[in-house]
Amino acid sequence: MSAAESATAIQRNQVDLLDFIDWSGVECLNQSSSHSLSNALKQGYREDEGLNLESDADEQLLIYIPFTQVIKLHSIVVMGSEEDGPKTVKLFANREHMGFSNVSDFPPSDTAVLSPDNLKGKPVVLKYVKFQNVRSLTIFIEDNQSGSEITKVQKIALYGSTVETTDMKGLKKIEDH
Amino acid sequence: MVLEATMICIDNSEWMRNGDYAPSRFQAQADAVNLICGAKTQSNPENTVGVLTMAGKGVRVLVTPTSDLGKILACMHGLEIGGEMNLAAGIQVAQLALKHRQNKKQQQRIIVFAGSPVMHDKKALEMIGKKLKKNSVALDIVNFGEDDEGKTEKLEALLAAVNNNDTSHIVHVPAGPTALSDVLISTPIFTGDGEGGSGFAASAAAAAAGGVSGFEFGVDPNLDPELALALRVSMEEERARQEAAAKQAAEEASKEEKGGEEQDATMTERASEGASEADNKKIEIADDDDTSLQQALAMSMDEPTSSQDLQDTEMSDAAAEDPELALALQLSVQDSTKDSSSQADVSKLLADQSFVSSILASLPGVDPNDPSVKEVLASMQNQSEPQQKQDEDKAPKKEEEK
Repeated sequence: MSAAESATAIQRNQVDLLDFIDWSGVECLNQSSSHSLSNALKQGYREDEGLNLESDADEQLLIYIPFTQVIKLHSIVVMGSEEDGPKTVKLFANREHMGFSNVSDFPPSDTAVLSPDNLKGKPVVLKYVKFQNVRSLTIFIEDNQSGSEITKVQKIALYGSTVETTDMKGLKKIEDH
Repeated sequence: MVLEATMICIDNSEWMRNGDYAPSRFQAQADAVNLICGAKTQSNPENTVGVLTMAGKGVRVLVTPTSDLGKILACMHGLEIGGEMNLAAGIQVAQLALKHRQNKKQQQRIIVFAGSPVMHDKKALEMIGKKLKKNSVALDIVNFGEDDEGKTEKLEALLAAVNNNDTSHIVHVPAGPTALSDVLISTPIFTGDGEGGSGFAASAAAAAAGGVSGFEFGVDPNLDPELALALRVSMEEERARQEAAAKQAAEEASKEEKGGEEQDATMTERASEGASEADNKKIEIADDDDTSLQQALAMSMDEPTSSQDLQDTEMSDAAAEDPELALALQLSVQDSTKDSSSQADVSKLLADQSFVSSILASLPGVDPNDPSVKEVLASMQNQSEPQQKQDEDKAPKKEEEK
């Protein structure tokens, strides 16, 4: 995993945005009920290779993730198997309540075509300028690597930074020097 | 009480003129629609219901999802029968109407009344079903009226394609003396997957069956909806609290395996926390049938040696004073269950002198000939106050290991 680590280490101020996800509003359309989104997003579940997010009626998935505060999104990691892992992933910033019918109505903020390296954990660096002020993220997984009926995602991780935070560790108390 | 937006698809085709459902198929359908709208809005006031017709000149939305019952009832008037039902188009328009609902937090549901023959083939219906499932829309199908070749099969296939975790249902209503609405009342379409709506359904069923005033809690929901709602909510809360309490008592009864003494100590300690709380706990113990008490007694008989290993806690000290604790427990149980006939067995059991002394004899560190024990046994016969017992528990800390 050193490649993934060095990629994220390059931008040291990028953090895993897991803590800023507003879990009450997280939704996933077309997920299988036994293999739900938590398997791919939640700490612990996403590390487990046996637990995947799987699609249900066909191979597409639509994931809606709202955040508790405004963030900038730098890169994402999508991990899956070589055959059933996702291929084309479209990201929409700040679009509420999308459905499969309107994914083609407006252009995505960014599109990523995942290579086998990405599926092993290499982060996909996004167009940072498009994700400067993100309140919610919609991830549309359009197809998978082999074109099978079910798409399986093992892990989804988002890396970025928050907009309005002050790094408390960086603040030094003004003392009499 | 699920928050839901529902679209009802009505079949107003020519086949609905038939009178095999009294008074006519169409009228029976209209009654059923009225009842469903009422049930949905009652089970959660934020629910919305919309209506569209599938036959006639084409699919037409009469009312977009709204919580205003009057609007829905009004639009059912003056509906005309004619044309042929277009099931696929009807479902798709319903899906579109739901997509544009105002409150996006509502779950989406479509209820279809399929009275006339289904023209589409199975494949097309399955595609529609899959699309509904993909967009997490639930579907309820009411199969009545015409029963031609393959209609049931097609509708079952549609249901299978949509169904996700049993949120979708199909009901087959044969022609007969019972009205369509009456048959529907007992189905999951009405009862909302087995929760909430039972209050309304119960009262509606009672009224339909000709019962006098079969309202839950003896309050007419139409006359005083807030009171009925408040009563229903407090009933559910009470039930939930009792279930939680019963579960807690059962857990504590089966959790400790170190010894029945500690079990008794736990239960008695709880009883000694305060009068009112003690009452609650007594009721819990009483309500939990005899099983947990029997378990405690059985455990104390089975594991007499394990009490030696108890930790240095006050509880262990208290646990060493088994006879008084056990008796206090028994007394508190006795007091609370004086009036309850079902608990008479337990009382009798405990009042049985020989049974109690046999238990006491098996407990370590207890000598039935010990004067204090004898005294306590005697006082138990007189049914002394439980408070006295509690005081006795707290005061003495003497070692009784012999």
